[in-house]
Amino acid sequence: MRQSPANEGPVQNVQTVQIVRQPVRSSNALNELNVSNKWNESNSLVEIQAVSKSFHKTVKEQTTEVRALADVSLSIRENEFVSIIGPSGCGKTTLLKMIDGLIPCDSGKILIDGKQVTAPGPDRAVVFQAFALLPWRTVLANVEFSLELRRLPKEDRTKTARDYLRRVGLADFENHYPHELSGGMQQRAGLARALAVNPSILLMDEPFGAVDAQTRQLLQEELLELWQRERKTVIFITHSMDEAVYLSDRVVVMTPRPGKVAEILDVPLRRPRVSEEVRRDAKFVDLTNYIWESLKKAMENH
Amino acid sequence: MSSRVGTNVLSFLSLAVLWEVAGRAMNSTLIPPLSQIGAAWWKLLSSGKLLANLSMSLTTLAIGFSLAMLFGIVLGLLMGRFRAVEHFFDLYVNALMSAPSTAFVPVFILWFGLGVESRIAVVFLFAVFVIIINTMTGVKQVDTVLVEMARSFGAREREIFFKIMLPAALPAIMAGLRLGIGRAVKGMVTGEMLLTLTGIGAMIMQYGSSFATDALFAVILTVLMVALLTMKAVHWIDRRLTGWKAEIAVE
Repeated sequence: MRQSPANEGPVQNVQTVQIVRQPVRSSNALNELNVSNKWNESNSLVEIQAVSKSFHKTVKEQTTEVRALADVSLSIRENEFVSIIGPSGCGKTTLLKMIDGLIPCDSGKILIDGKQVTAPGPDRAVVFQAFALLPWRTVLANVEFSLELRRLPKEDRTKTARDYLRRVGLADFENHYPHELSGGMQQRAGLARALAVNPSILLMDEPFGAVDAQTRQLLQEELLELWQRERKTVIFITHSMDEAVYLSDRVVVMTPRPGKVAEILDVPLRRPRVSEEVRRDAKFVDLTNYIWESLKKAMENH
Repeated sequence: MSSRVGTNVLSFLSLAVLWEVAGRAMNSTLIPPLSQIGAAWWKLLSSGKLLANLSMSLTTLAIGFSLAMLFGIVLGLLMGRFRAVEHFFDLYVNALMSAPSTAFVPVFILWFGLGVESRIAVVFLFAVFVIIINTMTGVKQVDTVLVEMARSFGAREREIFFKIMLPAALPAIMAGLRLGIGRAVKGMVTGEMLLTLTGIGAMIMQYGSSFATDALFAVILTVLMVALLTMKAVHWIDRRLTGWKAEIAVE
């Protein structure tokens, strides 16, 4: 297994923290960055190349064009945990849907393992913000749903679904309906459904945005533990700074509409990360503050 | 639940007592006391006349409602799923939904004659539009997040329809059927009174015109019972099919 860059982070007893910023690539700056690009392309699993997206919005018969994303480029390595953070309406969810293949890009393209994304595929699975569980199915049947669509035989479906329910701690709730569970448990079921199809890339759209603070922290810890074991590539949308820093190898900060990449930051925290320790770590505090400043600047320049 | 049954029984008993007292006090053929109606009902039942007419009426109801259910759900699903189909039909469906269906009885006489076909057509017409509209609304109100989720996991159009849209729309479809069966009972009696004097409708007309008010009320109460029981039956099926929804409502 390749080491993620965070594991070889700076020496521990350094007092002042170096914020490691990465160059933001845009299509016209591509030439200058030829060297690093070559390295990136050979190592990256997800390659987002100068992607733009606009929507047409009709209010009182007046159609206006809303630019959601403008010239976004980003490359994500295999097994990397990348968070995308930005103010509401910066197009982060749009970007995630484009990586999933649910909506097409207006210009630019997204490559996964060198192949252009045109539709959802078995290598990706989404964990949705509003859980998106089917209310008429039990938790077990909800997890089986993703496997049903992949045409797995019934016994295999049940076996796999039970296995993943156990991994997210829902083994005793398989016969419950979603409305009988708390928000945190519903999202665990959503996570089990996504993991059950064994995707190489997990796309998470503000997955813990709809649960209370304590549950949120618990779910973050559980997610890291799962990720440590399963080693998926995770693209995680959030608007919580400490969530982004605690979870990720890199944090991508986006500007308000139209969404652009403002900066990409390395998270120099060792793994495995223990929540209580990490949150007291000076590097954690400095980095979250830095992201806060960066977001503020992006909002002001807008 | 038990307090509700208790209140229902109380309501029923107090109305019965009031009716009995009022009937006796007025001593008029216009409002016969309940006991007299009960006796008339028993006579109709034991002579076999009530059951013979009732079974004739219920056959019409069953055929007409089944057709309305089949046609209404299929058209409603298509209208809810495809914009073009909706725009093609919605004007007529909405117009006919609010038009008095009785106005079409003469047309049915011309088309189908005075036989059972016309009565089935009336039942169908009374019930079908509310089923179409409820089904269509149910399909259109399906949470887009669920559709997106299914698409993301690789669902094809067929699977989105059968695994997401249909089960999500089921509560609305069942509500349409509940309203539809009530309207179908109305259609059944209307058809029998206006078209050919058969079944329950014929009994109502016959006893009404011969001032046999006790028998008249006995038949009317039977119609009310049929309406109530058929609606309960649909409600029972609804609860079995969409129990998950009922539980959410209780919370």
